Amino acid sequence: MFDRLRAFHRPATVAAALRLATAERRAGGRGAFVAGGTDLVVQGDGSLRWVVDLSLLPLRYVRRRGAGGGWTIGSTTTMADLERSAALRRFADGVLCDAAATAGSPQIRNRGTIGGNLANASPACDLAPPLLALDASAVIAGGAAGARKAAGGRRTVALERFFRGPGRPALNGGLLVEIVIPAPPVPRGGRAAWAFQKLGRLQSDIAVVNAAAGVIVGSDCRCRWARIAIGAAGPTPLRARRAEALLVGRPFDRDAAQAAAARAAGETRPVSDVRATADYRREMSRVLVGRALDECLERMGRDPWASW
Amino acid sequence: MSGASPPSPPSRRAVVGRRVRKVDGFKLVTGRTAFTDDIALPGLLVGRILASPHAHARIRDIDTRRAKALPGVHAVLTWKDVPRVPHTTAGQAWPEPSPYDTYLLDSKVRFVGDRVAAVAAETRAVAEEALRLIEVDWEVLPPVLDMEHAMDPGTAVIHDEPDATGIRDAARNLAGDIHTHIGDVEAGFRESDLILEREYRTPRQQHAMLEPHIVICWLDADNRLVIRTSTQIPFHVRRQVAMILRIPVSRIRVIKPRIGGGFGGKQEMVLEDLCAALTLASGRPVKLEYSRHEEFFMARTRHPQILRLRMGVKRDGTIVAHHMRVLAATGAYGSHCTTVQGNTGSKVLPLYRAPHLRFDCDVVYLTTPQAGAFRGYGCPQGYFAQESLVDEIAHELGMDPIAFRLKNAIRQGDVDELSAQLGEGKKGLPRTIRSCGLPECLEKGAAAIGWKEQRNGGVRRPGRLLRGVGVATTMQGSGIAGVDFAGAFLKANEDGSFNLQVGATDLGTGSDTVLAQIAAETLGVSLDKILIYSSDTDFTPFDVGAYASSTTIISGGAVKKAAEKVRDDMCCFAAQLLDAPPEDLVCRDNRVFAPGGKSVSMAEVAVHALYKEKTQVMEGASHFNTDSPPPFCATFAEVEVDTETGRVRPVHLVTAVDLGVAINPMQAEGQAEGAVAQGLGYALAEELVLDGRGRPANANFCDYKIFTAKDMPKLTTILVETEEPLGPFGAKSIAEVGINGVAPAVANAAFDATGLRFRRLPIRPDAVLAALGGRR
Amino acid sequence: MGELVIRATVNGAPRRWTVAPGDLLLDVLRREGYWGVKNGCETGECGACAVLLDGEPVNSCLVFAAQADGRRIETVEGVAAGDRLDPVQEAFLDHGGVQCGYCTPAMILVTRALLARTPRPTEDEVREALSGVFCRCTGFKKPVEAVLAAAARLADARPAAPPAGRKPARKAAAR
Ligand SMILES: Cc1cc2nc3c(=O)[nH]c(=O)nc-3n(C[C@H](O)[C@H](O)[C@H](O)COP(=O)(O)OP(=O)(O)OC[C@H]3O[C@@H](n4cnc5c(N)ncnc54)[C@H](O)[C@@H]3O)c2cc1C
Ligand code: FES
Ligand code: FES
Repeated sequence: MFDRLRAFHRPATVAAALRLATAERRAGGRGAFVAGGTDLVVQGDGSLRWVVDLSLLPLRYVRRRGAGGGWTIGSTTTMADLERSAALRRFADGVLCDAAATAGSPQIRNRGTIGGNLANASPACDLAPPLLALDASAVIAGGAAGARKAAGGRRTVALERFFRGPGRPALNGGLLVEIVIPAPPVPRGGRAAWAFQKLGRLQSDIAVVNAAAGVIVGSDCRCRWARIAIGAAGPTPLRARRAEALLVGRPFDRDAAQAAAARAAGETRPVSDVRATADYRREMSRVLVGRALDECLERMGRDPWASW
Repeated sequence: MSGASPPSPPSRRAVVGRRVRKVDGFKLVTGRTAFTDDIALPGLLVGRILASPHAHARIRDIDTRRAKALPGVHAVLTWKDVPRVPHTTAGQAWPEPSPYDTYLLDSKVRFVGDRVAAVAAETRAVAEEALRLIEVDWEVLPPVLDMEHAMDPGTAVIHDEPDATGIRDAARNLAGDIHTHIGDVEAGFRESDLILEREYRTPRQQHAMLEPHIVICWLDADNRLVIRTSTQIPFHVRRQVAMILRIPVSRIRVIKPRIGGGFGGKQEMVLEDLCAALTLASGRPVKLEYSRHEEFFMARTRHPQILRLRMGVKRDGTIVAHHMRVLAATGAYGSHCTTVQGNTGSKVLPLYRAPHLRFDCDVVYLTTPQAGAFRGYGCPQGYFAQESLVDEIAHELGMDPIAFRLKNAIRQGDVDELSAQLGEGKKGLPRTIRSCGLPECLEKGAAAIGWKEQRNGGVRRPGRLLRGVGVATTMQGSGIAGVDFAGAFLKANEDGSFNLQVGATDLGTGSDTVLAQIAAETLGVSLDKILIYSSDTDFTPFDVGAYASSTTIISGGAVKKAAEKVRDDMCCFAAQLLDAPPEDLVCRDNRVFAPGGKSVSMAEVAVHALYKEKTQVMEGASHFNTDSPPPFCATFAEVEVDTETGRVRPVHLVTAVDLGVAINPMQAEGQAEGAVAQGLGYALAEELVLDGRGRPANANFCDYKIFTAKDMPKLTTILVETEEPLGPFGAKSIAEVGINGVAPAVANAAFDATGLRFRRLPIRPDAVLAALGGRR
Repeated sequence: MGELVIRATVNGAPRRWTVAPGDLLLDVLRREGYWGVKNGCETGECGACAVLLDGEPVNSCLVFAAQADGRRIETVEGVAAGDRLDPVQEAFLDHGGVQCGYCTPAMILVTRALLARTPRPTEDEVREALSGVFCRCTGFKKPVEAVLAAAARLADARPAAPPAGRKPARKAAAR
């Protein structure tokens, strides 16, 4: 399948990886980074001439961020690492672990990485919704945009702007180094909850639709902050901003959740394909967002009003 | 997980009825070379097929010069290079009842994926590069994709070649048709108190056996053509390849190693002819295999059908008349076209003893992937329709669906006359029911599913998750009456072991184990004394192959006969040693016993025969049946319907099956359970989808979903044993019957949960949601 | 074409292979005689090609051979000790977990990885572990029973594990 491949580089540092990629690009010929290969090999682009393997880079980590809290996750951290990370399980209701645990089969999760999942920029990728619901950003090294700045310079792109279209990440040839998740702005006395929902045709499947929600309420039980993200319901994973706006400032309860879910469905732009019709996807966006928000409510201790 | 309840086998049997390990299990769990591809041949070339990008087109011209010039290419074949011999790829006994409408390579293509050319080259990469260099001048013809319009006047004619034979009406794209009846259905309808007429649709399901089709061919030292292939029908392959390539049968040897599943998809000569042609053209060993992608649309599928059923009943629930009309698509070629569809009538309608039955069926050509044999062979379609309709009628009459079925079902002593009308390609034989455990299947299955407690009654209750239970009763056959036959050969070795050679084709079903058990039981030896070998056309006797649920009963019958002869021979020699009349001797525990208790070991007898009497004890036998005793099955499903997503989730499936006597209950359960998994896919997920130009839209495991370990519900398998006089040790069959009832049981359970009928498979969530919405 | 030399440990034995940059591990293993590694789809779905890479199951059809350099590979050929079958293999035979056997090598390997991590798995955990290995023959009931039986056999064989030692595994299972 990859018969034209003539170079397989295995650098040990990000700088070396970028240097090798730059040199190969100058020499001409198509090439790619590869991490777990679970997307790249399946896509089977026989025209590839070179590959820069990222598996030896020291990017397989989940770290607490120093000052302001939050987390950084190295791009070659596997789905299985995320699924089993005890630290992440305790963070944001384990929403990232839950999402990672639904991706493919155990063998796929042992290879597939967070970097590959995002860089592949599939609208259905399972890590995008929870990461969008956590305001995550991507740290990118090198690439056309980076090259204009200092060599080896890094830029940080909010995940929402990272997805430009199906298969079109905002990398410009750069290397996704890590994902940064800021500390959620939970006020004193407030509560926060996150949830992930996925619907496939059978148990283990690419998402027909997936969704994540994150909600923060103040001590007054009013919603202070809301994130609703939906996958496979448009050309990119998307944030349902109007639905979020509907929640913020109001008491967070079932009715609000259902209203937001309905509005979120209206913000999707699904297509019909062999997996599902556009109408079905739109309707499922409503159902899944509703379920995710319900789960958030439940996690906050059911009806926050009751305890107010 | 509730376990199966294995019936206790008659205690006097030492091997038959026992849950013994597979005789070929060791090599499979250790990963030793077992399958077609597990050999290294020096000089092996890789074959690749140029697949048609068009659903329907003529090849005006084809230029292979650049491909041939590519270094590493050893053969390029197009229709210009090979003999033109009309044939069928269906693996059926000669003369095959399927039309001869297929060519090794042709100047016309009839579906996306049809053969255009084939290449053999040093590597896959070179072969694929060569395919890209083949230039084809196409005359694109209109595709014919809709079976309801295939026979319309003015539709493009798919088989306009003059030399095809056996096509019913090529000008109308009609591959075959069947019209048969007993009684007079119209009179029956006039007598009926209630008549329901409903339409059902079933999809193009693909076998998706884990090992795709693969063949390796080479010329041996004597210049004979050796075909090592993953097939269910080695002897038919030998005959077909000989005919297609115009070489004598004696020049061909077909070897069937272990097979990675078949399910009917390998009851067909799919790649052997082309691989053999490439070997002859290149003089080199060639491997030809389908990738998974190709397997989905270049191999075979189940026939999609539209079924229109009309049933008339008396108020008391007696079925008076049943008229089944079927429109089926065989795709581009007519392999198995009338026989599969014949089964839709002959193995389905007679389940209920109505005096008036009528079956009308048209099978049309389409420019779509080829249909063929697939576990159940026409029955899953027919039973989905019939068992859904029967359920609906029972509901209309306010009768319990089980009671309704029991009232009407065929029973022991009945003679099914419709089968006599519908044989394989000719008049068949009437079917006498000599054993029938269906009432017990229904009773035990109902208890296992909790029929009384779990039934919801077909009313829509509030709530997000709705549960319901459903039932379906089905039957199948055990071999094709008067057609299927098999040979077996046994010889004794000096250590008391026996070589058993059979042409029967274990494709993962465990038939080698079952046949070895039959031999061991008959000879009174332990299973490890039977060295079974299957199958190699040079060394094993003829067998029609593994299909039509025939192996246990037909091949098993041959093995039993051969073993009885060998046992008698052994007794004759033992008689000399024991000084007792041979007819008084008993074989058991690897010994031969005289009435007084004196005994000699089988090994002693064999040594005596060989070295003293200079005689090799060896016997062969053939076997066939003039009747095909049906196994019966009651399938129960409990499902949960998510009213928000429309997903129907199976919760519990119960299969209670009358298989005669279970030679190996563990393997029998495994057959039933595997059938349920495939049946659930058929019911809820599996369909090969074609786009508007006939191209497959989901030819991969990512979008053609099959059930995994996580999707499978709780399974309960209940073996209901009856004593079938025609079967070895009372056995019937088990391989197919279990798939038939799954889809209707699931659909009936979905009705029980929601009050909605689903008449189209697979039952897709969006359709369920739409139906639920319509009711809201 | 630049060829690469890679070194890996396969079933405990060091191996040195010359591969092309585009070679996939599945093809190299089969080429090198590890016939137990099966090809069922080449797109990562069916799991027939599963091997253990540093103890964890992966689909070898999606791994570049070059990526296996310096790593530990286990295939089904390494599971039995000569003719002596491993308890997992025994259990698959005794419980009818094998039909055609095409998925069996992968089933056995993912089971070994599961039991190494979770010695007493729940049925759900077993189903999760097997979910990446397609089987068209068995309906999974018997393979699942085989895995549970193998777990029980191995636990019994383990020299007198203190009862407390088992509890955490159970708890994890209940999660
Ligand atoms: C059978 C199967 C099932 C799957 N199921 C799911 C599922 O349920 N949910 C889901 O979300 N995904 C699923 N996937 C897709 C895939 O496994 C994931 O997207 C995975 O996370 C990809 O990671 P990888 O490391 O394997 O990527 P690779 O294949 O190595 O790379 C993917 C792409 O990203 C680029 N890339 C990788 N890393 C970087 C980096 N650090 N910087 C820049 N570019 C980079 C590569 O060049 C390539 O273009 C499935 C795949 C398979 C084969
Ligand atoms: S062959 Fe690798 S997953 Fe199917
Ligand atoms: S036993 Fe045949 S695929 Fe599993």
